[in-house]
Amino acid sequence: MARHVVGRVSEFPPGARKIVEVEGRSIGVFNVNGAFHALRNSCPHQAAPLCLGAIKGMTLPSKPGEYIWAREGEILRCPWHGWEFDLTTGRSIFNPHKMRVRTYAVTVEPDGGAAQEEEDEAVETFPVTVEDGLVILHA
Amino acid sequence: MAMTQARPANATAARQGLVDCDVHVFPRSTDELKEYLPMPWRDRYSGGGRGFFGNPVHGSRLDSKPPAGGPPGSDPDFLRRQLVDEYGHAYCILLPRAFCNLHPDPDFGTAIAAAYNDWLADTWLSKYNHDGVFKGSITVNTQDPPAAAREIARWAGHPHFVQVMTDSGARAPFGQRQYYPIYEACERHGLRFAIHPGTDGMGINVQPSPGYPTHYIEWHTCLSLAFQAHLVSFLTEGVFERFPGFGITLTEGGVSWLPALLWRLDAEWKALRSEVPWLTRAPSAYLRDHVRLSSQPLENPDNPKQLLQIFEMMDAAHTLMFASDYPHWDFDSPTHAFPKLPEDLHRRIFSETAREWYGLA
Repeated sequence: MARHVVGRVSEFPPGARKIVEVEGRSIGVFNVNGAFHALRNSCPHQAAPLCLGAIKGMTLPSKPGEYIWAREGEILRCPWHGWEFDLTTGRSIFNPHKMRVRTYAVTVEPDGGAAQEEEDEAVETFPVTVEDGLVILHA
Repeated sequence: MAMTQARPANATAARQGLVDCDVHVFPRSTDELKEYLPMPWRDRYSGGGRGFFGNPVHGSRLDSKPPAGGPPGSDPDFLRRQLVDEYGHAYCILLPRAFCNLHPDPDFGTAIAAAYNDWLADTWLSKYNHDGVFKGSITVNTQDPPAAAREIARWAGHPHFVQVMTDSGARAPFGQRQYYPIYEACERHGLRFAIHPGTDGMGINVQPSPGYPTHYIEWHTCLSLAFQAHLVSFLTEGVFERFPGFGITLTEGGVSWLPALLWRLDAEWKALRSEVPWLTRAPSAYLRDHVRLSSQPLENPDNPKQLLQIFEMMDAAHTLMFASDYPHWDFDSPTHAFPKLPEDLHRRIFSETAREWYGLA
């Protein structure tokens, strides 16, 4: 599992996403209400580009006729068939035990020169500032 | 997975490409369509939505919106990239969504149908169709069958219209005699008659369930009810005896219900044959000559072997044709929607049956 610099925290606000190509895989990295998560950009259903989907909340299980809207910003909906996935776990909402998408670890690290090591163009073209951390994808 | 080469250059390669029996194309704007509507309809037309029962999530694939602008299915270059080139389509059967059957004024509905036909012929079937990949459907308004028959005759002999189409939404089952001018015209001009979901329970049309369902999930699941009722009507009314050269394409109406419905109908016929004495064979025996189903949205049981059993029960090698429903939300991917099929069955469903049905090379 290699480290891949995805970008700076300061340029990656809550609700933002970035889709990166890592060793032949397309992976979506999301800032979910301040925490970073990464999912394979391929829906387990019919291989749609899952990470292009809308980021929403969801209706929680409730009594008939009752609507409880919650988890705003934590649910990714497939852009084709609308299947809901939990951005924080990769698990589908309708069957979290069997239907899930691959997830990857994401860490935030201080910029100790990692930008140069990773030869990430996007990082290299921006000046380093001391207060920024780096978002690192482990994939 | 993506096929990046251009369209097959030779006839042999083209024969191997798949035929997609349900692709939706749309005018770039309401104004583009209105250019084909004469007055007084041009001023009255404000677009063709069905009103209620919109998908609460999204109606089209989110990635189908053309980067250059316009609604999904309106940009031929982008549609070619995302569908034709991606999967190696040899032919796309185009079904515009005019929703003309819901209007109380039959003349208005007929005018809208004609405008869609003129628009489709002018754009997707000519300007956008240098290689002939696009084959069209003649939209007709079923509430005025003689006018619909004239509209069919207007396009007879066009090289790229391969069928007539209408919505499943109706005021009466399609086997009934008031519709026969349409079927007579289809038979005379060698055109199939496709039924596609739409306008069920909308405008003047009846809803095929007992009353109006509450939710889109109910309405959308039960779209297949209209198809079952229309099919039973076609079979029992003797439409295929009266018009032996006539055939229907059941598009997006579901697949797996077919065997059980026909078992039931055949059982009824054994006892009640005398009520419909014009039938010369069991109802199910008309399927292979007169009925095709398009696959999307394909019902997929958890155990894929069960779907293969259903395919065997319904003679899928001769009755089922692949469809993607691009660009709609419930798009079936040519590479992921089906379980692994035997090679010959795959070839039948994805190519050969449709080529035979529509007379495509």
